Amino acid sequence: MKLKAVRFVGSVGGLSSSSSSFLRLPPRFFLFPHQRPRSISSSAALSSVPRLRLSSSSTTWPPTSHSHSHSHSLLPQLPLFLRPPKYAASLSDLQIWHDWAKSLAASVGSTFLDSDNGPHSSLLCRELGWLLEDALPEGTDPSSLLSQMRLGAPTDRVKLKVGIRDLYSLWRRRIEERRPFQYIVGCEHWRDLVLSVQEGVLIPRPETEILVDLVADAVVSKVNARLNDRVWADLGTGSGAIAIGIARALGSGGCRKVIATDLSSVAAQVASFNVQRYGLQDIIEVREGSWFEPLKEFQGKLTGLVSNPPYIPSMNIPGLQAEVGKHEPRLALDGGADGLDDLLHLCHGAASMLRPGGYFAFETNGERQCKFLVDYMENELKGSFLDIQVVSDFAGFQRFVTGFRQ
Amino acid sequence: MRLGRSRSGSSVPTNLVRSLFSSLPGPRTAIPSSSHRSASPVESSSTAGSSSSVPRILNPPFGSCRNLSHQKGTFSAPAYDIVKNIIRSSCSSSSSLVSRRRYFGGVRLLSNQAAVEASTSDGLTVEGILSSQWTILDESEGDWKSHAAAIAQSIHLIKKRLQWKKLLVRFQVLSAQLEKPDIWNDPAHAGRLSREQGSLLSRMKEVVEFERELLENIDMIKLAREENDSELELESLNALVRMRRISKEKELEALLAGEQDPCSCYIEVQAGAGGTESMDWAAMVMQMYKLWAQRRGYGVTVVDEMSGDIAGIKRATIKVDGEYAFGYAKSEVGVHRLVRISPFDSNKRRHTSFAAVAVIPIQGDGSTRVQINESDLRIDRFRSGGAGGQSVNKTESAIRIVHIPTGITVTCQNERSQHMNKASAMAVLQSRLDQLERARQAQMNAEHTQSLTDISWGNQIRTYVMHPYRMVKDLRTNFEVSDPDSVLDGDIDGFILSYLSASLDKDEDDRLYWEGG
Repeated sequence: MKLKAVRFVGSVGGLSSSSSSFLRLPPRFFLFPHQRPRSISSSAALSSVPRLRLSSSSTTWPPTSHSHSHSHSLLPQLPLFLRPPKYAASLSDLQIWHDWAKSLAASVGSTFLDSDNGPHSSLLCRELGWLLEDALPEGTDPSSLLSQMRLGAPTDRVKLKVGIRDLYSLWRRRIEERRPFQYIVGCEHWRDLVLSVQEGVLIPRPETEILVDLVADAVVSKVNARLNDRVWADLGTGSGAIAIGIARALGSGGCRKVIATDLSSVAAQVASFNVQRYGLQDIIEVREGSWFEPLKEFQGKLTGLVSNPPYIPSMNIPGLQAEVGKHEPRLALDGGADGLDDLLHLCHGAASMLRPGGYFAFETNGERQCKFLVDYMENELKGSFLDIQVVSDFAGFQRFVTGFRQ
Repeated sequence: MRLGRSRSGSSVPTNLVRSLFSSLPGPRTAIPSSSHRSASPVESSSTAGSSSSVPRILNPPFGSCRNLSHQKGTFSAPAYDIVKNIIRSSCSSSSSLVSRRRYFGGVRLLSNQAAVEASTSDGLTVEGILSSQWTILDESEGDWKSHAAAIAQSIHLIKKRLQWKKLLVRFQVLSAQLEKPDIWNDPAHAGRLSREQGSLLSRMKEVVEFERELLENIDMIKLAREENDSELELESLNALVRMRRISKEKELEALLAGEQDPCSCYIEVQAGAGGTESMDWAAMVMQMYKLWAQRRGYGVTVVDEMSGDIAGIKRATIKVDGEYAFGYAKSEVGVHRLVRISPFDSNKRRHTSFAAVAVIPIQGDGSTRVQINESDLRIDRFRSGGAGGQSVNKTESAIRIVHIPTGITVTCQNERSQHMNKASAMAVLQSRLDQLERARQAQMNAEHTQSLTDISWGNQIRTYVMHPYRMVKDLRTNFEVSDPDSVLDGDIDGFILSYLSASLDKDEDDRLYWEGG
């Protein structure tokens, strides 16, 4: 394993670098050691790995493209909240921005909600508060600052992690382009983690948090099966959320390892960044490649296998909420004609890769896919699995299929 | 057990406890004495200037046996035994008990009837100082009698606020229970009792030592005058002035002597009936608490907030982090009423609206918590429409937890992840269940019926009038302020303190017979 230096792009995700307020980070932010697998050169891996996908829409897949010609967009970007507060604005300017942003959010009303189940203006207003929270130095309380705005001297300066002009363009893009809030601030709060995310990486969803609890429960309930040792895998890791979640849930001690794979180079780099930020680089190994490709040496040896693969049926993609359909990587969403392409591939893989007694948990699109998978595993893969279960998310949707290798 | 009303009868337990204290290690202002000196040479050398003459102020120590037997006569036997046992167990031998009592407790244990009270060498007690009604002059006047009277008054108030007699009885009850051989069969229960006993003890100890310090300083002054030692006199006088200042702080501290008072807390505000106007009022009340908490330097976090459709909030919960947050905020429990011309009424009519406030203490780690059974919970998330999962990206991750056996429902939506919303909602649920459990236990012990009404929502406590006149009036204390804006900006300490002192400064005799025989 070699260390590879990764350069951080200093601009707020996607902002033009020619902008006058282009964010430059101090030198210490430019070099960040990342663990990358020696065995795979990303270009070779990507060109050689066939992805199990029957969708015909592959040619239209947007900027998650693996091509090195877009290398600039592949560089991990530092989330807003991690940047140094090297900007400043007067209280009154910040207030003017805040009022403007609030009225822009309010003007949305329920139009997004009505058109594609997007966010209501009340939710946008809450996001605005979080944007301010991330843009202010640590320990500055946005709500007390806002009340101070009304009381304090308007010439008082406030330190910021982003220039005031960028705040305008960031919020405009949130509302006008429906750019996901998490891409705006470059992070997503997930479980007790704050994960870096950016264009090209799926934003981890609240539902997926439960996947980690399922793993933790399985490990506790099957103490004799020694599920907490040896190798776990998170396939299609995206931001690394599940891998980091289970690495922390599996507890310390024992010779355990979590391998996180992703076909997307940008996802692999963002995942590596998040792994480093939580100091888990000795436990989690990020490998670039499709599904089980990078795991060949673990055939029949995996202790656990978790994944949140693309599962949305291709025909549903055009009707998705704009934040998802227009901005998030199709690679991470489109599961083929009935959304089951990758899930079925994972089922077959689980049968061959898991050791006897090994555990798996997959996220699905809902009841139909859960039923189909259970049926498929019990009949088509008869004799491979034990104790197959369907678990619902907190909204009451059947969301996960779990079980053990026979 | 029932205590007599008479002065001599009620003062007996005071003395018992005091003699108990005298056998316990702890910080004390040294009354130098010969054997004390020998036990602690460093201390004696530091007070060498006065030590030669001091032993003379010590009256001959009263024999501990005789003293105890005297108490045994006026006090019920079991309680006497308890205290005696504790004294015994905290001393290595009976002889050390005698010697400690002689040199640390001797000053107080005089041979006459008044001996049961702490007193100076010439028999002056704190009660005595109070009843002699010395004129209290300004602090700058160097009259020791004035200082002593001021301090004695404070001590009296502090004891009243601590519900001193009740405290003593409770201490004895706890001690009796902890003496039972099978008490530790239920370690959780025993731990709770023992913690309560410990906290009572430290509270009582503080007052007793303050009392003793006062009397010792008076002794010193009298002695210094006899000896014409002006240096010592000035020193002791200054000590009294210091005590006088501290006593004011102690008065305030005594307002917050409840077991839960030091805790952080949740404050919940819920709008009453009346639509937008009352939701706006609820938001104003919540804002008042946020500003109040900020003024006091407490941390404020919004746990849950359900906005009104047009303005204001339907309900909201904030967490107030800091010492004594609950002790102060608990005075705000109840219904707050607003009278004003509603800005939401195009006809400019006068409206009355209500907001209910609940305050829930957040218990520290040391205290026992209600065990929550995972299977008793129904956890759900507000459906955000559609298929969920990858198809939806909303930053909303509100969680609702229903505790099925009690029907308590908690929601949280202000954290940025579902996991944290769940954790936050669980913390609120835990505190609510703890509070429910305490209320249940309090109902079983008649002593706490008072606190049951404190947490019920039915009572209107304060009216805020904006029109036709401007005034905020507390209906419990009649404390009023003519500037509603300052109150709504969080300046509510006046209401809080007046309520706390009013509720505690009632004649404590009313509360003496809580045990009912």
